[in-house]
Amino acid sequence: MEERIRTLLEEATQAILSASNTAELETVEIRYLGRKGQVTELLRALPTLSPEERPRFGQLLNSVKAQLQTQIDQRRAELQRKEREQRLRAERVDITLPPRPLRVGLKHPLTQTMERVRAALIGLGFEFVDSPELDDYRYNFAALNYPDDHPAMDEQMSFYISDTRLLRTQTTSVQGRIMEKRKPPFRIAVIGRCFRNETVDATHHHTFHQVDAFMVDRGISMADLKGVLAAFARQMFGEDVQVRFRPDFFPFVEPGVDYAIYWQGGWLELGGAGLIHPNILRAHGIDPEEWTGFAFGLGIERIPMIQYQIDDLRLFLENDLRFLQKYGA
Amino acid sequence: MRVPIEWLREYVDVTASPEALAHRLTMAGLEVEAVEHEEGEPVLNVKVTPNRGDCLSMVGVAREVAAIYNLPLRHPMPAARTAEPGEAAQVAKVEILDEDLCPRYAARVVRNVRIAPSPDWMQRRLLAAGMRPINNVVDVTNYVMLEMGQPLHAFDLDLLPNGHIVVRRAKPGEKITTLDGIERDLQPDMLMICDATHPVAVAGVMGGSETEVTPGTRNVLLESAHFNPTSIRRTSQRLQLSTEASYRFERVVDPSGVVAALDRACELLSQIGAGEPLSGVVDVYPRPASERIVTLRPERCNLLLGLNLDVPTMVDCLRRLQLKAELHDGVIHVTVPTFRPDLNIEEDLAEEVGRVYGYENIPERLPFGHTHRGGDSPNTRLIRPLQEAFVRAGLIEVHTHTLRAPGPLDDPHRTPVRVRNAASEELSTLRNSLIPSLVDVVVHNLARRQTEIFLFEVGAVFAQLPNGEYEETLKAGFALTGSVFPPGWDARYPAADFFSAKGVVQTLLEAVGVAEAEYQLLTDPRFHPGRSARVLAGGREAGIFGELHPDVLEQLDITRRTVLAGEFDVHTLWSLATRRVRYVPLPKYPAVLRDLSIITPEDVPYQTVERTVKQAGGTLLESVKLFDVYRGERIPEGTRSLALSLTFRSPERTLTDEEVDAVVAHIVRALEEIGARLRA
Repeated sequence: MEERIRTLLEEATQAILSASNTAELETVEIRYLGRKGQVTELLRALPTLSPEERPRFGQLLNSVKAQLQTQIDQRRAELQRKEREQRLRAERVDITLPPRPLRVGLKHPLTQTMERVRAALIGLGFEFVDSPELDDYRYNFAALNYPDDHPAMDEQMSFYISDTRLLRTQTTSVQGRIMEKRKPPFRIAVIGRCFRNETVDATHHHTFHQVDAFMVDRGISMADLKGVLAAFARQMFGEDVQVRFRPDFFPFVEPGVDYAIYWQGGWLELGGAGLIHPNILRAHGIDPEEWTGFAFGLGIERIPMIQYQIDDLRLFLENDLRFLQKYGA
Repeated sequence: MRVPIEWLREYVDVTASPEALAHRLTMAGLEVEAVEHEEGEPVLNVKVTPNRGDCLSMVGVAREVAAIYNLPLRHPMPAARTAEPGEAAQVAKVEILDEDLCPRYAARVVRNVRIAPSPDWMQRRLLAAGMRPINNVVDVTNYVMLEMGQPLHAFDLDLLPNGHIVVRRAKPGEKITTLDGIERDLQPDMLMICDATHPVAVAGVMGGSETEVTPGTRNVLLESAHFNPTSIRRTSQRLQLSTEASYRFERVVDPSGVVAALDRACELLSQIGAGEPLSGVVDVYPRPASERIVTLRPERCNLLLGLNLDVPTMVDCLRRLQLKAELHDGVIHVTVPTFRPDLNIEEDLAEEVGRVYGYENIPERLPFGHTHRGGDSPNTRLIRPLQEAFVRAGLIEVHTHTLRAPGPLDDPHRTPVRVRNAASEELSTLRNSLIPSLVDVVVHNLARRQTEIFLFEVGAVFAQLPNGEYEETLKAGFALTGSVFPPGWDARYPAADFFSAKGVVQTLLEAVGVAEAEYQLLTDPRFHPGRSARVLAGGREAGIFGELHPDVLEQLDITRRTVLAGEFDVHTLWSLATRRVRYVPLPKYPAVLRDLSIITPEDVPYQTVERTVKQAGGTLLESVKLFDVYRGERIPEGTRSLALSLTFRSPERTLTDEEVDAVVAHIVRALEEIGARLRA
C-alpha cells in the first residue's frame, strides 16, 4: 500500500509538472483529486484496511492529497501567468496604425480671436455691449461727426437698406447709442460684424469684424489712450510687443491716431484711435471741458492674419473645413 | 500722391535719406506707403488723409517737411504777380451765376501759343509724379497743379465766343462731350463752365473736347478757380468720372492760391517759350475767404496730449507749420491760413503741436480714478453657451455671409430685407435664416472632397416686418452630413440621420436648461415631410430641424447624401429654460431594474408611450430608457415592438419586488389604454 501511494505521488507530481496548460492541469487534477480520482479512490478504500493500518494510511493519503493540491495550485498560478502573457503577446496591435478618430468640435478662428480680445478688454475694465448690424445712418455717420459728402466716406461705401438704414460700416456706430443713454464715466466696448460695399480681394472684404472700445472720464488724454492700447496689444501679442502711434485722420476723433505693432521685422497697422471729438461729446450733452475720452478700433481678422501669417482675408468666411480645422481652440 | 524727392528739394533743403524722410513723414501723419525709384530717382508714395487736401502738392508736402526738420520753406513765387485786370480783361469776361458752388474764378490769357512737347525736365518730373506728358500748355497746367495743388484748365480761347465764361449749373437736357470723348448727360445741380450758350467744361472735373487745346491752338484762356468740394464730389460720383483735379477740389483747394497758380503757369509758359501771357487777370471773387483765429489754451493742450510742454515749445511747433501763433493773456492765438481749412478748434491745434513734437514722445499711462467693472455683453452671455454646446456635440463653427442671393432654403415665413444699392445678386438681400448659408458651406466642402461636414453658426438674421420695420434676430443653426462617427481604417459607421440631428438638438436644449421639449412633425417645403420636426417647449416654438427635402438637395446638386439642418431662435431658447441645476444627494438605496417589451400600433408615437409610462410609474419610477425598436415577421404588420428599460428607486428605502411588480402592472394597464400590449 505504502509503495502504491508513493508511486502515485511520484506519478501525479510528474503529471502536474508536465501539464503544459491550465486545461491539461485540470485533467490531471480530476485524474488524481477528482471525485473519481486516484487519491480519492484510495481514500475511499481506507475502510477496507485493518483498524491498525487505517490511521497511518489515512494520514499519509491526506498529506499526499494536500501536497498534490499545493503543487497543482502553484502550477496553475504559474500556467495562468504564462497563458496571460501569451494572450497579451497575441493581442499585440500595430501601434503605428492611425488613431480611431473622434468627432471634435471647434470654434471658428474669428470666435477664438474675439474671445481673446474680449478677455483682454474686460481685464482693462471695459464693459461689452450689443449693437445692431443693421443700423441707423445717423449712428453710423452723422453721430460720428461725418459731414455730408465728406471724402472720408469714400472709404466707407455702405450697403443701404433705405434712406436711414444701412449695414453698419464700423462698430464705432455704438458710440452715439451709448452716449444717448449713459452719463460718463464709462468704458464701453463692442465687437461684431461690419460691412463695406467694396470689391472683394485678398485684403478687402464686404464683410468683416471689428472691435471698438471707448472711454470717457475726467482728464483722459492721449497718454491714457497710448497706455491702454499698449496694454491691450501686449495681452494680444505678447509682453515684448512694441506699439507705435502716429497721427491719422478719422472724423470722430481729434487728435487722431493710427497704431501699429512691430511684428517680424516691420510695423503692422492694427487700427485707428484718438480722443473722442468734442462735437460728439457735446452733441450728447457731455461737456468736453469736464470730460474727455478716447476711442479705438481694430479689425478682428487682422489679428489671426498676423499671428498665423494668413495672407487671404477671404478664407475666414469661405469656411473650408481644412482651413478651420487648423485652428483648434 | 507721388512725390519725387528731387522736385521736393526745390522748396526745402532736406538732406535726410529717402527712407529716413519717409519714416519722419509717416510719423508726422503723412503716411509714406513706399519709397519707389523712377529711373534711379527716389519717389515717395504718400497717402494723404482726406482732411489734408493742402498736402496734395509738392509745396504742401514741403511745408510738412520744413516743419518736421525745422527748415525754411521756399515758395515758388512767380516774379510778376498780377492783381489788375490789365489786358486780359479786354479779351476775356467771367460771370459767376452760382457763387455758392464757385466762390472764385480767375482767368489769364496767353497769346501766340506754339503747341509743342514740353521740355525734358518738365516731362521727367511729370512722369516721376505719375502723370503723362501731353503738350507744353497742358503739361504746364498739370505741373502747376502738382507743384501748388491748384488745378488749372486751358481752353482754346478762339473757340470761346467773345472769350465769355459763364459759371452756372447745367440746364435740363444739356450734354457735354468731355476730353475722354464720352458724351455725358448733365443733371441740373452739376456746376458747369459755359460759354455764352452751352457747357464747355464740367467744373473742377474735366474740360470739354470742343474747346480742347490742340496743335492748332493759337490763344489760350487759363482757368484757375475755387469750387465747392461737395458739389465737385457729387458731380464726379454721378458722372463716374474722377480726375486729378476733382480729387483735389473734393479735398478743398486753397482759395487764396488761385491767382498765384495762374501767375506761376504764365511764368512757366513764357519761360519755356510756349506763348506770351497778356498782362492782367480776370478775377471774380465775390466773397473772399478770410483767415480765422483759433485759440489754444496751453494747459488744455497738455491735458489732451498727456504732455507737459511749455508755451514756447507749443508756439514753435505751430510756427514751423507756417501758422501765425501769438500768446495773448496766456492763450495762444493762431491765425489759420486759408490753405488749412482743417484747423477749426482747439483740439485741431493740439493735434498739430503733438504731431510736430512727435506722438512717439507721448508717455504711456493707464487711466486711473474710477473703478470700472468690465464684462461680456448680454448677447455674448447667451451665445457662448450655445457655441460651447455645439462644440461638445462635435460640430465645427463657421461664420457665413450676411449678404446673399435669395434661394430655395430661405425661411419662407420671413420677408427678406433687400439691399438698395447692391452691386450684384449675390449681395442683394440680408439672410433671413442661417440654413441657406450653412448648406452653402456643405456644398463648398463637398466640392472639395470633404465628406464629414458637421457645422454650426450663431449669428444675426434679418426680416422685414409687415409694418415696414426691420427685425434683427439671433439664431443658432447647424447642418450635418457624413457618418455618425468619423470613418477610420477598421470600421464603417452609419450615416448621420434625423436622430443624429436630434442628438445635437438635445445637447443644445440641455445647455440652456430646457428640460421638456415636444417634437411635432414639421410642414416646411425645405424639409423632408416625414423626417423633420418643430421643437416646442412650454407650448412655444424654439426651433426646427430635420432632413432637407430631396428636391432642394437636387437643386443644389447634392445627390446620394442625407443633409440635416436646423435653426433655433437664441432668445426664445433661453426664455424657455426651466431647469436650474441644484444639488440632489446621490441615491442611498439600490435601484430595481425591469425590462418591458411592448407592441404598439405604428401610429402611436414613442413620445406618448414614454409619457404614459412616466405618468403611471409615479414617483418610484426613476427613469425610462428605450433600448430596442423592432419591426418584422415576429410581430403583426402595422405594429412595432419597443423594449424599455425601467429603473425604480425610492429615496427612503430599498424597494421590494412586490412593490415594483405592482407599479409595473399599473404601467402595463396604462399602456393597454393607448393600444399597447406586452410582447409575449
